[in-house]
Order: sequence, then C-alpha cells, then structure tokens
Amino acid sequence: MESLESEATSEIECIRRAQRGDGEAFGPLVERHQQRIFSIVFHLVRRRDEVEDLAQEIFLKAFRAIRSYNFQSSFATWLSRIAVNHCYDYLRKVRASRISYYWEMTEESAQELERKVESPQPRGLDHGEKISLRDFVDRLLARAPADDRVILTLKELEDLSVEEIAELLNLKSSTVKVRLHRARKRMLEDLERWRQEVK
Amino acid sequence: MNCQAMREFVSDLGAGELSAEAREHVGQCAACRRLLGDARLMQAGFRALAEEAAPEASLGFASRVIRRLREWQTQGERQEFFETVGRRFVYATLALTLALLLSLALPSSGPVRGVAGADFLGLQAESQSSQPDVIGGELGDSHDWVPERLPH
Repeated sequence: MESLESEATSEIECIRRAQRGDGEAFGPLVERHQQRIFSIVFHLVRRRDEVEDLAQEIFLKAFRAIRSYNFQSSFATWLSRIAVNHCYDYLRKVRASRISYYWEMTEESAQELERKVESPQPRGLDHGEKISLRDFVDRLLARAPADDRVILTLKELEDLSVEEIAELLNLKSSTVKVRLHRARKRMLEDLERWRQEVK
Repeated sequence: MNCQAMREFVSDLGAGELSAEAREHVGQCAACRRLLGDARLMQAGFRALAEEAAPEASLGFASRVIRRLREWQTQGERQEFFETVGRRFVYATLALTLALLLSLALPSSGPVRGVAGADFLGLQAESQSSQPDVIGGELGDSHDWVPERLPH
C-alpha cells in the first residue's frame, strides 16, 4: 500500500518536473507506461515493425503537451488518449485494403473453422486456425474506417469497459455504446459484401 | 423476431448467448444463420487477436526517447532564437515602411510639418502642368500665369 502511494507521489513529482521542462524526469514516466502504450499501438496498428517508432513519437508528443496535463484524469489515461489519437491519425493515412488469408483457405477448412467457432467460447482451435482467425479479423479491421477500428480495438483487444473508452475518447458512455453497435454492424455488412466480391 | 431485429441483435451480441426467440428465428432463416456465423467468426477472431502479445519495448527505449527529447529541446531553443530575431526584423521593417508611407501620405499643412512629400509632389506636378513652355517664348493659352516666377 505504502509503495503504491510512494509510486504515485514520485509519478506526480516526475510530472511536475517534466512540466517545468526537465526531460530527465520524463524517463521514469516512459519506463512506467511504455508497455501499455506498446499494447495500444500494436493492437490499433497491427504492425510490429511500426510499434516502437510510433511509441517514441507518442512519448515525444506527450512531453511537448505535458504542460496541458491538469491531473484531472490519471496520467495513464491522458497518455493513452494521446496514443489513441496518434494511431488514429496514422490509420487514416495508411488505411489498406487487402484480400484475407481466411479466403485463401480451402472450403472444407473454412467450414471446419466456422463450425468450431459456433459456440460463444470456442475450444479446440489449433495454432493454424488461430492464425487464420487473427488474419481474418486483422484484415477486416484494416478495411474498417479508422473510427470503427479504434473503438472496436479498445473494446475487444484492449478489453476496456465502455466507461473507460468514454473517458479515453472524451465521449459519453451512451455514445460509446451506439458507436460500438454501429461499428460491429458495419463490419458484418462489410464481411457480407466481401463474401459477394469473392464469389 | 424478424431479420432486421436479428441483425440489430447480432450487432450487439459480442460473445453473448442467443435468446430463445433468436434461436428459433435462426433455425428458420438461412441468411440470419449466415450472419450469426459471421458474428461468431468475428468474435473468435477478436479473441485470437487479443491473445497475441504486443511486442515489448526494446532495451534502452526510455533512454532513446530522452535523447530525442534533448535533441528536440536544443533544436527548439535554436529555432526559437532565430524565430525571435526574425520576428523582430520583420516588425522593424514593417514599422519603417509604415513611417515612410505616412510621411508621404500626410498633408503638408499643420503646425509642425513643413512641405509633405505627397503635397510637394502634387504641387510640383500641378505647377509643371500649368507652367508654359518659356523656351519657345510661347505662353500658350494660359493668361493667368504669374510673370514674377520667371527667371531673369
């Protein structure tokens, strides 16, 4: 308990020093939050080779803006917001549309996979099937508008609650729910269109 | 339940279970069965993606960030210096130009000023247009010309 408190105190101290322009004080903040930022960037961007560069840019951006941090939300939330916005800009620039690996499976394998995921908690998926599924959703996400991609990623991959997403994106919880619903719906519609294209 | 309602239901479904009503509809409607299959596939895909671990920050990541911060700060200070000097130069040039324009545009009359440039130029142009060509000895049509202003 005490160590948690002292950690929080030292974080506040580092933030205050960084706000006065002390770059060295920003180091411990980077170390403390880097893994969370890496996770957000990786799940949003889905490109391992880009994660570190993007994370660096995010921390630089955060340092430049640190004077605007007013301790209203937690530093982690404030930093995550910068990360999400940065990735959002990146996604809008490089949005790609590609053919899915899932579609390259034989019909039997695809049917087998679909049968296995019929239950809400599918079991018995082998490594290859997991890769196919990942690739399938990865490519669906790549086709999705940046707004949809961000909100679905935060919910499904970062496993944030509706309230946490609302705080991160400066939205109302009800708006987040509506956007999630629309994003899933659009994704399903896109999948239907995609099936038509492949046929 | 109809297909439209089923579509809305499936969009909200996530990893949830089907209601009895939805199960009944899916049993009768091939299109909704397909849709549900897609939703399940998507959900499983999300789960598989979430399981994939993000890459870890490489050794010395924080130090590299700090190094770039220092570079940016030094660069920023230098840039700020040149920006300040440049801005002052621009302001000084603008002030000088404004002063010059004012000195040309303001009238010559007044308690302090003598002959203002604009008026002076105006007068000169006027006197030039009204002055006859004396070299040829012709006074033209001008009868109100004042002879005292002629050179002796």
